Amino acid sequence: MENETNINLVPASPLEGKHPAKELFQKSKRDDAAMHDQAFETKPISYFRGAMMRFAKNKASIVAAVIIFIIILFAIIVPFASPKAHVDSVAYPNGFQNPYFSYALPYNPMFKGTGFWDGTEEKKGISDRVYDVYRFDDSNHHPIVKDNGSEYRMIGTVRKLTYNIRVDSYAIGNKVVTVDSATYQKIVSYEQEKGIYQTANSIMKPLVYYADNYYNADGTKNTNPGYCARYRDVISNDLAGVDYSELSETQTDIRMQINNVVDAMQNYYNQNPSIYYELDAKTQAMNGTWKYTQNSFSVIKNEDKPIEIYQKDDAGHYVYEQEFHGDYTIRVDYYDYFTLTRGFEPRYFFGANASGQDIFLRLAQGARFSLLLGIGISLINIIIGVIWGSISGYYGGTTDLIMERVTDIISGIPSIIILTICSIQFTNNIALRQAVGTSGIYILAFLVAFVYSGWIGVAATTRMQFYRFKGQEYVLASRTLGAKDGRLIFKHILPNAIGTLVTSSVLMIPSVIFSESSLSYLGIINFTTSGLCSIGSLLNEGQAAGLKDHPHMLLFPCLVIALLMICFNLFGNGLRDAFNPSLRGSDN
Amino acid sequence: MKSAIKMKPTNQNQQETTNSEMAKKEQHPTTSFWGYLKRFFVSIAHFFMRKDIKSTFAYIGKRLILMVFTFLVIFFICFVLVRLLPISVDTGMKDQATFYKQMVAQGRYVQNKDGTYSPMPIMQQLGNFLANLFSGAANPWGFSYHIEWLASPDQIMGRQLPPTVLINIYSMLISIPLGLGLGTFMALKKNKWEDHVLNVLVMLFISVPSFIYAFLLQYLFGYVWNVLRPTAESANAVGGYFSWRYFTSIILPILSMTFGSIAGYARYTRAELTEVLTSDFMLLARTKGLTRAQATVRHAFRNSMVPIFPMILGEVISVLSGSMIIENIFQVNGVGGLYLQSIQTRDFDVFQYVSMFYILIGLLGTLVVDISYGIVDPRIRMGGKK
Repeated sequence: MENETNINLVPASPLEGKHPAKELFQKSKRDDAAMHDQAFETKPISYFRGAMMRFAKNKASIVAAVIIFIIILFAIIVPFASPKAHVDSVAYPNGFQNPYFSYALPYNPMFKGTGFWDGTEEKKGISDRVYDVYRFDDSNHHPIVKDNGSEYRMIGTVRKLTYNIRVDSYAIGNKVVTVDSATYQKIVSYEQEKGIYQTANSIMKPLVYYADNYYNADGTKNTNPGYCARYRDVISNDLAGVDYSELSETQTDIRMQINNVVDAMQNYYNQNPSIYYELDAKTQAMNGTWKYTQNSFSVIKNEDKPIEIYQKDDAGHYVYEQEFHGDYTIRVDYYDYFTLTRGFEPRYFFGANASGQDIFLRLAQGARFSLLLGIGISLINIIIGVIWGSISGYYGGTTDLIMERVTDIISGIPSIIILTICSIQFTNNIALRQAVGTSGIYILAFLVAFVYSGWIGVAATTRMQFYRFKGQEYVLASRTLGAKDGRLIFKHILPNAIGTLVTSSVLMIPSVIFSESSLSYLGIINFTTSGLCSIGSLLNEGQAAGLKDHPHMLLFPCLVIALLMICFNLFGNGLRDAFNPSLRGSDN
Repeated sequence: MKSAIKMKPTNQNQQETTNSEMAKKEQHPTTSFWGYLKRFFVSIAHFFMRKDIKSTFAYIGKRLILMVFTFLVIFFICFVLVRLLPISVDTGMKDQATFYKQMVAQGRYVQNKDGTYSPMPIMQQLGNFLANLFSGAANPWGFSYHIEWLASPDQIMGRQLPPTVLINIYSMLISIPLGLGLGTFMALKKNKWEDHVLNVLVMLFISVPSFIYAFLLQYLFGYVWNVLRPTAESANAVGGYFSWRYFTSIILPILSMTFGSIAGYARYTRAELTEVLTSDFMLLARTKGLTRAQATVRHAFRNSMVPIFPMILGEVISVLSGSMIIENIFQVNGVGGLYLQSIQTRDFDVFQYVSMFYILIGLLGTLVVDISYGIVDPRIRMGGKK
């Protein structure tokens, strides 16, 4: 193309009045297509388009971006979709929780029955007394999923038969609840519809008659006493000819001792509504003698079956409810009762915490909070940093020197000090607390602490870019043409720094998330009373619950935060390589 | 090989044997640890013999003055902020009368006529504090009222420092050789499968927060396999800081601090070394007959140390500051734990003391790292303008 043009441009200059080989020249045709530069057949590639194309070649970054996208979707969708997020806010001010399911293990329906991620737990070395409690259960969900047989173990100095079983952590058995008549009618009609009303599989179970009503209210002896009252007779008869000192060494009054044992037993029945059978308080001590205790009860068995003590009416039918002022006290299979009254099953995909809150839901809420905080703070930092760095870099000289010293001082104070001071001051400021709420105070404290020194890195990058570009010819040209400082800064110099700024803003997000989670993990910021939760506060709960006993509480928050960190770093590095190809692999 | 790194041609015929031996010794220092140590001291000596030594000292002096000035400003800001914090006398205070007595004695509170106490203006408190500090009064930094009743902050700090320093030093002793070695290996195997695998691992270990390894190590070694103690023991209870039992109890915190820094060193060394390995002088060294190992160790590695050495130096200074998270997870009685405790119990005198300590260490670290660049690489002219 270039050659053609040159030929055409050769002037037809007169040479000594003669035109040698005039026919060699031809007059150029101005409207000839060959005259002009040919239009590009391909589309021009803009800076961003080029960066995107380079980014698309980086597979690791693409995968990271997809994972980040999935986590963002998880954080957005789960708090909307989970039924546990839409419970009555009056009954559950801090979100859904149910203490009966505290520390429930992670349950994934896909793995049901495999022993992995199915809400079951291996228990080894269970004593026969505990084993019996698991074994004799009249609820609809049997706790023992798998019986791995028994073996002899040394418990202290005694060789004892112990059992190894796999227990379902969702089979929490029966509970006694008090419901209004509408709920009661709902349960009854549901049972009748399913044809399980007052059968073995019903939700409502017969009440257990363990009352300690030895005497009637008028002082006469009760003709139909509850089990605890009958047990009082058993002890009295048993101890008739026995040395009383067996019972307890400190107490001498036999009646008081019997009272204590029976009270403890009644208490035990009260707290364990699953127990529907006769219990014995007699245990064998190390030396082989028998004595009555107040803290451990064993099942009385008849042909390897417990002796049931259901409440019966005069006609001999089981009693299923007790009405009192329109409310019904019933004994229910709690899992089925919950499913019926709440409309969803109490299953926990990632398990439950100490107060029975869903870790899956809370993790989504925490990830949402952490991501929002990370993105918000990064944005604020970028804006402040760009303005500060532009001024300092563009004007240079004394302005730059003073501004640099200010950043020195600011970066010298650790942000943890600022955070501590802010959170204490803000919490004590009643006017502020009323204005933004308890959760607002913590968010504000985080904002101040992270914005306080977070922008310094961005400012330094911007300043460097300004030093690089402000002396270039095109800037001089623009200035000569009369461009003002503002135009030079924002129109001519700053766009050169955009790639670096995008990268540093993306890389700032994981660092903010990490700092936030460390601080709330350490409890420097404590979210418990504010209803907020972040990944860090979940880690805090997990550590408080004990890594040894409840590893699932730490596992999932750790996984999510590790994924977030890895993916954001990969994604940020990919962006950096795409925006500044010359820096590729510089610290990789 | 003999003259491989000699830059000036020497007249070998006229040299005596002893001289050439000496020259050999000087120009081919052993690559052992002592060799490097000697080189280090030699380079410090060279540093003081530089022509621009005056300007260098002027630069260091300027930086020192600037540091003191920065520290004073930060100190002032922190002092005001901390003294503005409300002290809750009612919660967790053992004896209010003693507390007020101490506060009045230190010039922080005044007793009103009706017997109540109220805080002095902050500037007056600052004046009294400085007067106490420079007149040599006992405990100018105040007392701990929550962590340990009426113990001075420096006393508590002195007690909490050894575990932190010990864990940091052990972790440095592991991570520096391993990290540098790994980085060198990766640079030499650049773009081979070993490099790719290690690169992925390094990326993982740098990205994943250290508390996650800490939890993992604690769970596996401490609870599941039951081979190490899941939490650190008290040194006094098990026979001192250098007893075997104490060492085994701090293995897990050491390990969890080590992974991240090994990965960091490896990544940095790899980046520096790959750059140096492609330099022209490496080609020259190989052309002159050095084996690959000789060229790498004597020329490339030493040059790549220029930016890494100040990094190590910075780490050496920061052994005094402990990781709050790791100390919290493994229940180490260290400085990080003390800092956290002072925040949680609102023991503000201790909080202020530890904060100042951290700030001072941070400033000192930056200063030493900046100056060390000039010592390690004579080409860097300190304080020079571009």
